[in-house]
Amino acid sequence: MSRESAIDAALEWFDERGFLETLAERVAVPTESQNPERLPELARYLDEQMIPAFEAMGFETHVYPNPVAGGGPVLLAIRHEDDTRPTVLGYGHGDVIRGQEGRWAEGRDPWTLDRAGDKVYGRGTADNKAQHTLNMSALAQVLAARGSLGFNCKFMIETGEENGSAGLDKIIEGNLDAFAADAFIASDGPRVAPDRPTVFLGARGAKNFDLVVDLRDGGHHSGNWGGLLANPGIILGHALASIIGPTGQILVNELKPPPISNAIREALKDIVIDAGPDGPTIDVNWGEPGMTPAEKVYGWNSFEVLAFETGNPANPVNAVPPRARAHCQMRFVAGSDRDGFVPALRKHLDDHGFENVRIDPPPPGNAINFSATRTEPDHPWALWVADAISRTTGKPTAVLPSLGGSICNELFTDTLGLPSIWIPHSYAACSQHAPDEHILLSEFRDAMAIMTGLYWDLGEADLPMKAA
Amino acid sequence: MTREAAIDKALDYYDDEDKGYYKDLADRVAVPTESQNPDRLSESYRYLHDFMTPAFDAMGYNCTVYDNPFDGFGPVLLATRIEDDDLPTLLGYGHGDVIRGQDGRWENDRDPWVLDFDGDRVYGRGTADNKGQHTVHMAAVRSVIETRGALGFNHKFIIEMGEENGSKGFKELVAAEKEDFAADVYFASDGPRVDMARPNLTLGCRGTRNFDLVLNLRSGGHHSGNWGGLLANPGVILNHAIATIVDARGKILVDGLRPPPISNSVRNALKDVVREGGDGAPDIDHDWGEPGLTPPEKVYAWNSFEVLAFTTGNPENPVNAVPPSARANCQLRYVVGTDGDRAPEIIAEHLKANGFDMISVEEPPAGNAGRFAAARTDPEHPWAGWMRAAAERTYGDRVAVLPNSGGSICNDVFQDVLGIPFVWMPLSYTGCNQHAPNEHILKPLTREGMRMVSGAYWDMGDADLGYRL
Repeated sequence: MSRESAIDAALEWFDERGFLETLAERVAVPTESQNPERLPELARYLDEQMIPAFEAMGFETHVYPNPVAGGGPVLLAIRHEDDTRPTVLGYGHGDVIRGQEGRWAEGRDPWTLDRAGDKVYGRGTADNKAQHTLNMSALAQVLAARGSLGFNCKFMIETGEENGSAGLDKIIEGNLDAFAADAFIASDGPRVAPDRPTVFLGARGAKNFDLVVDLRDGGHHSGNWGGLLANPGIILGHALASIIGPTGQILVNELKPPPISNAIREALKDIVIDAGPDGPTIDVNWGEPGMTPAEKVYGWNSFEVLAFETGNPANPVNAVPPRARAHCQMRFVAGSDRDGFVPALRKHLDDHGFENVRIDPPPPGNAINFSATRTEPDHPWALWVADAISRTTGKPTAVLPSLGGSICNELFTDTLGLPSIWIPHSYAACSQHAPDEHILLSEFRDAMAIMTGLYWDLGEADLPMKAA
Repeated sequence: MTREAAIDKALDYYDDEDKGYYKDLADRVAVPTESQNPDRLSESYRYLHDFMTPAFDAMGYNCTVYDNPFDGFGPVLLATRIEDDDLPTLLGYGHGDVIRGQDGRWENDRDPWVLDFDGDRVYGRGTADNKGQHTVHMAAVRSVIETRGALGFNHKFIIEMGEENGSKGFKELVAAEKEDFAADVYFASDGPRVDMARPNLTLGCRGTRNFDLVLNLRSGGHHSGNWGGLLANPGVILNHAIATIVDARGKILVDGLRPPPISNSVRNALKDVVREGGDGAPDIDHDWGEPGLTPPEKVYAWNSFEVLAFTTGNPENPVNAVPPSARANCQLRYVVGTDGDRAPEIIAEHLKANGFDMISVEEPPAGNAGRFAAARTDPEHPWAGWMRAAAERTYGDRVAVLPNSGGSICNDVFQDVLGIPFVWMPLSYTGCNQHAPNEHILKPLTREGMRMVSGAYWDMGDADLGYRL
């Protein structure tokens, strides 16, 4: 059996709806990790969807309970073939963000896979169930074609990524041998454009925090008190306006990264961000002035107001509200001083007369806190994977130094010491953290070929080097 | 048959907690007349038919309930007692509707619709605003009628059921039925007195104009990692826009939203006014509002801009996405001399001039569509002087006269439609939480109000003392 015939067989399986049928079962499990009531669904996803699939491929499986109360379990599946062959660690996350039922177009149920033309809707399609399902299917295709993988494979599925991967660090640190490998290759997030095969080598970090102005216990009649009582919404709005400009530029120096290096600028030179059909329109005047869109999202930091509330927006009353809260987020590239953000903001607020703006921890349901990481673009594994993808697609692979989004990549780069190579199968306009999350079937078909070819190549005798 | 006897009769009613004032008030508070909640419209009719009409009928008033000219909004009761066409006609007013109960947010798990006593405080939605106040007036009138055998003047009394939702339709209704509502002078109670320690009369009110600022950039949220830095954040932009309207210390920055300079007569009247909210009242933020003004000037002689509510994203369950839209429910409170009703157009022009033309100015939600004109009776008007004298005869000392209240009420109906001088005698206090959970009245102020209102009605019907045109 050849590489080509393995890919053909994989595409045949894909076209016969094997992929969508498997995915539908997995999307139907409402694995919302931000919702404590869904904790049993996280274990059910591993028990009913993941473990049988890995065992069918001859993997041994082990489930690690989460040491953090309320955190979901982690599965590690291992197929060890030969000590002389390299070991590749794969990854996926079985949890999803909240379903946001009732807010999807066309009355769609987030837990029911629904195909409309090239789009396949459902919570967790893009992030991340379709991506790890695709990779697992490609492994199965290579096993079927060759009779073995030709390399050693470990594959972990965590169930808490959308809630900050709490506890995952402790599980890995406590089981370094079990998770040890030579390289990390996994799929999550979007390609730079739907038809541009992409590799990214790191991720922006993320840190959520709340800014709070809490002035008094209750609301007071805006007629009797208007002009006498400070309005917390107005104060907090001014504080935010001192942190981020009206066109999105960060105004506090300590929240910015060091200048973009020439190497990164070079890597990003030919990267055009294409949201695909129906994607949002990039606001070219937003963000750091003078940068290209690719530099803004893969090479720079961004500050977001994810949510802001004062008063009672659902039913406003004529009262000076007592408090205001802004749920904020920093996304940042490697080289930024994550631990310096909060102290710098505190000083900035104090220096600008906003002593009454408090910096609070984020709500537990949306408390992500990720480091920024990066594997160097000229690392041998990075070059090899990009080439393997190009062998299948016949096109140059886009290599991004960093993903815009945040993932628990530091566990692989720092804790396990692996080169981290991500091969995303989705696209940026997939609404992955919103209603109407979906994938493009054509893009995933393309990925089926890429991943089957890649896993095939990993089993070839002359490939790749086992780490020293 | 004396002034004292009429006042004592009213106090007997007030002091009888089982059958008197608090029994009636408990029955009235129990009717959940939330005018911002469309589901409660039938409660407004029930309040008029089952509670107000029988009470006025028993005092010899003729009652008419007018439907609101706007569908879905509250009715209006007019109770009329004409004793003699040659006597002057006094118009009174109360509103039977309340703001939302905010059930579940009251201290000690209090039910907003159940009267609850705690020392001098009596809790319940509508106790201060306004059920407790018109219940005082109705009792005072009855005491005068029972003591004298007649009022000695003609009296009309309005009970409106939509005040907390901007009195929509009230002005149009009175204009259409002008003959029915016609009167010579106006006296009623609503809102808080400014100083716990001393009664005051209020001769007008600030106007109110509510509106929403809305920025809708796209149809859905997008992952803040993949898109952060590429997609404009509507919450950030809207906060910047608001920051150009009002500064970080509450000073209004847009010329058209600022009043003309405070006149000497208003400044003088306010010299005599002390803001004392009493226990439980919030602390005044002295560094907030227009610089250089005293607290009474800020609230009685100046405009204020509020962000009543603001939302972007999903504050209850935030997700890591650039939100698609942001909305601020805003309000301008303004004094006579500001064309506050034009605030939405003025803001729209301002936003455009400052590069925020992507933000639209929209009408407020129907449930909180406050829109009142500013109004003021001249402090030199004889009716203001007469009311002051009547109040001081009962109180025994000087009362304060406020050119206008901070809050807004339908004074423009009396000022512009009926063209009569109007005087308010507020019976609550500023710490009463009237638009929030824990609304309450204070027993000593309510009892004093009962005396002063009864004395004023008595004097109005007195052949020698009464106000005559």
